[in-house]
Amino acid sequence: MARAKTTKAKKTAKKKPAAKKKAAPKKAAKKKPAAKKKAAPKKKAAAKKKAAPKKATKKKAAPKKTAKKKAAPKKKAAPKKATKKKAAPKKATKKKAAPKKATKKKAAPKKKTAGKKVVAKKKTAAKKKAAPKKTAKKKAAPRKKAADLRLADASLFAPFTRGERADALRILTEDKRLANMAKVGRYRVISVEPAPVKPPQERSGCRLAAIVVYDYAQARCVDAHVDLDNSEVAHLKLSNVQPMLAREEEAAAISVALADENVKKQLSLGEQPQVAMHYWSTDDTDLSHGRRSAAVVFGQPGAAASLVAVVDLISNSVSEVVSADQW
Amino acid sequence: MSTSNGNDNVVTKSNWKIHWRMTESAGLMIYLADYRGHRVLWAAELPYVTIDHQSQDLDIEDGGNVGHGPFWVPLGHRTQAGPVSCTDFRGGFELSVDFDAGLYQYTQIWRFHEDGRMAPWLTIHGGGLHDAHTYHPHWRFDFDVDGAGHDAVEHFDDGRWTRVSEEGWFPYTGEADDGGFVWRQVDFGSGASVSIRPHHWEDAELFAIQHRTNDAASSPHSAAGAQTFPAAYVGNAPLDGHDVALWYVAHVHYDTAFPFTAGPWIRVSGF
Repeated sequence: MARAKTTKAKKTAKKKPAAKKKAAPKKAAKKKPAAKKKAAPKKKAAAKKKAAPKKATKKKAAPKKTAKKKAAPKKKAAPKKATKKKAAPKKATKKKAAPKKATKKKAAPKKKTAGKKVVAKKKTAAKKKAAPKKTAKKKAAPRKKAADLRLADASLFAPFTRGERADALRILTEDKRLANMAKVGRYRVISVEPAPVKPPQERSGCRLAAIVVYDYAQARCVDAHVDLDNSEVAHLKLSNVQPMLAREEEAAAISVALADENVKKQLSLGEQPQVAMHYWSTDDTDLSHGRRSAAVVFGQPGAAASLVAVVDLISNSVSEVVSADQW
Repeated sequence: MSTSNGNDNVVTKSNWKIHWRMTESAGLMIYLADYRGHRVLWAAELPYVTIDHQSQDLDIEDGGNVGHGPFWVPLGHRTQAGPVSCTDFRGGFELSVDFDAGLYQYTQIWRFHEDGRMAPWLTIHGGGLHDAHTYHPHWRFDFDVDGAGHDAVEHFDDGRWTRVSEEGWFPYTGEADDGGFVWRQVDFGSGASVSIRPHHWEDAELFAIQHRTNDAASSPHSAAGAQTFPAAYVGNAPLDGHDVALWYVAHVHYDTAFPFTAGPWIRVSGF
């Protein structure tokens, strides 16, 4: 059967994104062969790394200051052209690597002190990884990331146990920045889900929980990442984003709609709530344009819908009742 | 297969090794997927399926009002209507699960072929308040082709593949390469790539954004009057050599030919 292509709604949907459609300039196309050229030396670099990857990381443990001092001349001395010459660089890199061993001794005490706190360890590790980017980026960084990713721990994605979920929420509500929210208690937990971070980012390898809460008292969304290994809030963002409805909000919307006199009048015998959907109006004169709302759809079980009640979840009242065919 | 907390959510067959889990709001999620021993995917999910209804009678008196705004219900634990099943087919295997959200029923399918093809699909069983409505399933792919942070995104435009240097919105205009592919993510090091081919009937579009820690909000509704996600994520961040998240959005208008299966074809090549 021939399918009619999308109507006005589709067109408007396409217009929405202000983001430009970026046809890459011709220069970009010229970059492609460059990428291939870059690829060649990587294989050699990768082979080296396979031989002694751990050592390479140890070398990076050298204190920043020394690393910077030694790295600075590298930048100037060994730009892209130097890598193209190929034959000499192998030896050259080995020679350059040698003095780093000497820096190991200097790095050792730092490791001991850093070992006291896991968090501190990770932060410094992340910084150490970040620091040499400027100097050794082209040679070392990419392959190392690939290797790390393959070792990503699948168990970090596993669903939370009840205890883990409770732990995550306890840690979040103990955060001082959310003291008011926790005290007033007018909030809904929308979701608590595992959110592992990719290596080599900070907190990769940690059991992280992404928590979304809607704070009714201040009409705001709380987006947080909680690190369960270190019992701390790793990330917190407060915004006007409207998250999906929690199950409790769906149930509340249905009970508000069922209790509304206007809705009752318009329902026929046997019509029941079929679903509560998260809804926002595109019309800025509607209450549901900026306020947390749900659309409760009514109808006979298994039959077409007959009525939609828009429920304002802030005031727990029905703001609009629309016949389904007029929606 | 059980969905409990354990290690029974790994499938290793047909050259693939994948992990899966049911989410709260993003359907059946696939994560840490390897093809022929190479990492291809960090995670892929179906965060939103929004539904727009259009006004059936467009009167001048309406003052340009074209119906109500979108609404949606998350696909996940609360709407799951049956167990996740894993079935073999000739040349591969597939995971599928049904969702039931009142008027709206969906079947989410992930297919994996031994030749490197992958199909993240959603069968929409129709319904709706009335006939004039459109479904907008949103898939989010976090591909790591042989590792993250060393990839580039390309778009087939003006008869050739062009590099996408910055975040942006790249709709399917009808132009595609000989294999029907419109977008691809290429790994510099290995030369391997993941190519995406849209369904001809679903007016697909792709949002390419730099990977951020929180780039999959728990709702498409960003703020009153603001653009919805993922369009709201699009800025000017560079993509070349960075870790990238791709959002594939399909626009499927309801008609009597439903049920309709939306979603792209994805091909992994170079491994």
